[in-house]
Amino acid sequence: MIYKSINKKLISLFLLLFTLGGQGSLSQEKLVISAIPDQYPQKLNRLYTILADELGEELGTEVEYKPVINYQAAVSAFRAGSLDLVWFGGLTGVQARLQKPGSVVLAQRDIDTKFHSVFITNKNTGIKPINNIEGLSVLKGKRFTFGSESSTSGRLMPQYFLEQAKVEISDFKWGRPGFSGSHDKTIALVSSGSYEVGVLNEQVWKDNLKSGNIDTAKVVVIWKTPAYVDYHWLAQPDLDERFGRHFTQKLQEKIISLNKSKPRQKQILELFGANKFIKAYNYQYKDIETIGRKLGKIR
Amino acid sequence: MKKIFLNTPLIAIIPILAIIPILIQVLHGIHLGGLNILYKFFTSSVHPSIDKLVITNSLDGLKITFSIATLAWSISILIGSFLGCLSSYTIYKIIGIPKLLASLIRRSLMLFRGTHELIWGLLLLQIFGLAPWIAIIALVIPYSSLIARIIADKIDEIEINNILSIQKTGAGKLEIIITSLLPKIIPIIGTYGSYRLECAVRGATLLGIFGLGGIGTELQLSILSLNFSEMWTSLWILFISIFILEKLVQIFQMPRLYINNIGLYSIMSFFLLLICLYTSFISLINLGVNILSPITLHLPEIIKYENILSSVNTLPWIKLISETILITLLASFVATALPPILLMIYPSKLLENAISILWVFCRLFPPPLTSLLLLLCTKPSISVAALALGIQNMGVLGRILLENINKETDIAFDAINTTGCTKHVSWFYGKFTPQVKKYMTYSIYRTDVILRETVVVGVVGGVGLGWQLQESLSSFAWEEVLLITAVFISITLIGERLSEGLQKRLNNSFQQ
Repeated sequence: MIYKSINKKLISLFLLLFTLGGQGSLSQEKLVISAIPDQYPQKLNRLYTILADELGEELGTEVEYKPVINYQAAVSAFRAGSLDLVWFGGLTGVQARLQKPGSVVLAQRDIDTKFHSVFITNKNTGIKPINNIEGLSVLKGKRFTFGSESSTSGRLMPQYFLEQAKVEISDFKWGRPGFSGSHDKTIALVSSGSYEVGVLNEQVWKDNLKSGNIDTAKVVVIWKTPAYVDYHWLAQPDLDERFGRHFTQKLQEKIISLNKSKPRQKQILELFGANKFIKAYNYQYKDIETIGRKLGKIR
Repeated sequence: MKKIFLNTPLIAIIPILAIIPILIQVLHGIHLGGLNILYKFFTSSVHPSIDKLVITNSLDGLKITFSIATLAWSISILIGSFLGCLSSYTIYKIIGIPKLLASLIRRSLMLFRGTHELIWGLLLLQIFGLAPWIAIIALVIPYSSLIARIIADKIDEIEINNILSIQKTGAGKLEIIITSLLPKIIPIIGTYGSYRLECAVRGATLLGIFGLGGIGTELQLSILSLNFSEMWTSLWILFISIFILEKLVQIFQMPRLYINNIGLYSIMSFFLLLICLYTSFISLINLGVNILSPITLHLPEIIKYENILSSVNTLPWIKLISETILITLLASFVATALPPILLMIYPSKLLENAISILWVFCRLFPPPLTSLLLLLCTKPSISVAALALGIQNMGVLGRILLENINKETDIAFDAINTTGCTKHVSWFYGKFTPQVKKYMTYSIYRTDVILRETVVVGVVGGVGLGWQLQESLSSFAWEEVLLITAVFISITLIGERLSEGLQKRLNNSFQQ
């Protein structure tokens, strides 16, 4: 008898737990946004809180920002449908789209259509600026570092251009490049001299130059890559079903309409380092996919 | 010859020899190019950001981290203690069931322990999506199996012959376990468990991949962007809270109560654990973490056999494995040998306190930060990776050593000192020697941890299995992830067998 009553209690406890859990799904749909991390936390927190407020008010939906700080985690969470709208890099966006067929590229910044990486060197190495891509062969045998292993501008595209110049990653000193982990770390490690050459996102380089964080007596740009497309907003395929007809389109229009005449929108654009957002399309990322496959980052 | 070698406490500091090749390599690559950044780093420590937003974000992060860490920790203690008893040979001996089952549980637990929590996290995330309790499970899996191993080992260290003789008097098996064994097990869970709480707080950086934020996320992002003043805000807040945590743990260990009333002690410990479980759960709900959010299943594609086969052939296994083992061994030698040597230099209370503050920082600085700081003054090499990992784990081992030494009286030290020996020698033979066996056991556990942590030091150049794992994860090459994880587990298994052998010899030689 006692066991029976305990059993009943246990069952009702479980039922209670499940109903508690279920309540979340009954409440109003929330648009969950996220971004891959390439900025310091306060900027990231500020940026996405303001953006969530702006989108929420304009679209009449609750918008929540979830700080997923790992590239692979952001892709996996998008695949599992836990994130609705994500600011992805070129490579991670393609990885996410391939894992979640039907997802839509919504927009990119004006600067993302012609994005560049810069190769930087420590002045002590005496490496001269490179005029054409073949010139990259002087980097053979040097201590070289990429940024993060999933970064489009800090790894994928630079590696592609290096291979075009017939420089394999095994040609660097000790037969392997370093992976500093971030664009800012690449600058620090090259200017200190630990690595002789490194490569990073041009935007980060320019921002750091502007804010006086770079000692130009120690580190210089030796080559700027040709242009390629990079960051973009990627949305789940089922937003229209969940939030109402044409929601995806409305979302896209909202992002594109952000302009510097309104104070809050101006703040958002400035934090993104952009003048405006423009429409973007899946097909623009075909090259990234091809290169990703060639270098083994997309299987 | 070997026996003589094992008989001396020198065994714990002999590994210092490993520092020679490390020093040669590090000194060879030394440069002054990063001094300005190092200067900025250190000056930021006294000028952390006091921006209101930065502080509130860090404090909010701290609440999330502590709540999740405490919840994951209390669940791990419960599961770990249970599994620990299940895999202890002693308990099987008392009950009289073949030991085979214990070995089976013990070995299969290794599967969970040998895999880095990041892998568990990403794997569970891939299948279940973002849900707070998935993050908790990802922490609980490795923690509870780690606790299980240590508890099982500690139970098996208990002298069993006396207990078995009680059995001959006709006492029941269950009674023996409760009356003779349990009083010895509870304090083990108490000491080791409380120490794991700090590990759980530090390890909760994993929350970042689940979008839960937490102070680890703030720390990680500010390190990536080299925003030292914001980083120091998080670090100081974490430092202060870990300091308070340590003091609280000391109070709650209740050594007096244990001696006076072991029954009450056990009940109180258990209740304390339940209170932790309950308050952390409620606090998470108050923080707006939807802990019971419903989940959906998103099974990944089944890995194809031919893909696995082709990965076997494409990855340079021998190079990867040997690099990994080299880093692990060098790092654990540094971590094991440095604490006693540092304490021996000048044994005094003042220096001891200074060193233990240094160790808190060693533990708090994540290896990517330590390796960055090292790389600002030396060229990248395997030694830098080993040193970065070694320094962090030195903080952990040093803490355990000091705690154990301080539990003992100074009688042996004073006795040797009065014979005219120097303070160093008296410290070495009077204080350190009685601890060597225990210390070596912990250092062997630590080697396991270091092996898994080799995942985080890609900055010195794509070295070893750890880096390859990151690369494969970021390419979503699950077949490679599977193989690398299997290799990690195998290395752990072999390491465990070897260390069990070593421990047995240590035990024998100490008994002689």
